[in-house]
Amino acid sequence: MAEYRLDCLGEACPVPLLKTQKKLAGLNVGDMLIVEIDHSCAMKNVPEWARKEGHNVEIEETGDGEWEIYIEKVK
Amino acid sequence: MKLEENRYFKAVVKDAWPYTVGAVLLALLNITLFIANGSPWGVTTPFVYWAAWIHETLVGPVRDWVYFNNPTHLKALDLTFFTHGGSLMNLGIIIGALFTSLAASQFKIRKIKSFRQVIAAIVGGLLMGYGTRIAFGCNIGAFFSGVASFSLHGWVYTIFIFAGAWIGSKLLVKFFM
Amino acid sequence: METKTTVTERVTVRPGRKKKNQLPAAIVVLLGVIWFAFLLGGQSAGLALSWIFGICFGVVLQKSRFCFTAAFRDPVLTGSTSLTKAVIIAVSIASVGFGAIQYAAVTKGGTLPGFVSPVGWHVAIGALMFGIGMVISGGCASGTLMRVGEGFMMQWLSLIFFVLGTLWGAHDYSWWKSIFIDGTSGVHLPSVLGWPLGIVLQLTVLGLLYILADRWGNRQKS
Repeated sequence: MAEYRLDCLGEACPVPLLKTQKKLAGLNVGDMLIVEIDHSCAMKNVPEWARKEGHNVEIEETGDGEWEIYIEKVK
Repeated sequence: MKLEENRYFKAVVKDAWPYTVGAVLLALLNITLFIANGSPWGVTTPFVYWAAWIHETLVGPVRDWVYFNNPTHLKALDLTFFTHGGSLMNLGIIIGALFTSLAASQFKIRKIKSFRQVIAAIVGGLLMGYGTRIAFGCNIGAFFSGVASFSLHGWVYTIFIFAGAWIGSKLLVKFFM
Repeated sequence: METKTTVTERVTVRPGRKKKNQLPAAIVVLLGVIWFAFLLGGQSAGLALSWIFGICFGVVLQKSRFCFTAAFRDPVLTGSTSLTKAVIIAVSIASVGFGAIQYAAVTKGGTLPGFVSPVGWHVAIGALMFGIGMVISGGCASGTLMRVGEGFMMQWLSLIFFVLGTLWGAHDYSWWKSIFIDGTSGVHLPSVLGWPLGIVLQLTVLGLLYILADRWGNRQKS
């Protein structure tokens, strides 16, 4: 189970989600992707998409207006 | 911190609200505004007044332009930012968003990351501004309030803003990512 | 880890993270808002009301991360329709309220209130331009203002050019008027189709769009 980080700090909407979709597609089942964001829309739309795809998702606030989204690829 | 662990503080102040809650509240606010003001929510007409006020101060008059040559616009040209309701409403939107970001300790100055973002902001901003004047509004005035006003122009706007978003998405992925 | 989606976003806060508590600053802003409301109220109740409504809109937009841009963009770009559905709900509720307001005004013999503007190719072209602009700049009109308040410098820049763009548009307006706008007029659906049909038709179309958006959003797309 590998862990990958995706730095999306400073990206405009909807770039964090687009990059997450692309990156996650290339990972193996069981891998963990940690997406770093500072966009208030992305802390909603990235987890929403990932959960809809069936993955395990947790969000952690890591700073003022900064979050890390942990996505465990399930299928 | 005890306050931050309080259920109600978390739900209302700290956490993001569901989209549906936002939708209902925005609709109720718009209806209430319509009743109180006689006119529904619009965002971009104040923008042209801001530009016009600056232009009239620095460059020259605009009241001879066809666009401004009607009673509503002429009256507004004689106002100032702090005596114009629509301008104050737009400032309120900015400050309201600032307030809730700070209350949730989520305010952060997000700096521009790349030159591509600069181009995107400039080109996107100009397109939006120009488009609102010929289409009679933006996503709020023409779409939200226009469709809610049962106006056909609102529906035409809906179809073409959707088409524009599709084109914009292609451009975004190709040039601005 | 759970996979169940919840109504509100479950966000944990990393303990001991180096962050500032911004609540004091929020209180200062709130006091400023209240002070300004009284200041304006001293001049005119209408101005104070506009200010308060603006604050309310800003609060709701930011708290719910409400993005009209995403409502139009995401169905095709990311496959998500959650905001699309929310926007349809907002427009539907507003339609009911607006319809009642309009009906009341018209049956009392007054002019038709609301935003009814001339229909024509100018609307199509302007909306197309707006749609392109909002997606590449990362925010529509309300979204840009909301993000200005959240601290996004890209939207500060976008707002400046948005304002300039409106003046440019106003400058060219006479051309558009002579080519596209002259001769067109506003079409108020209930006035043309009759109130019952006009209202029912619009709400039905909105309902169908909601169902369509719901189906589209549930497609497993990767």
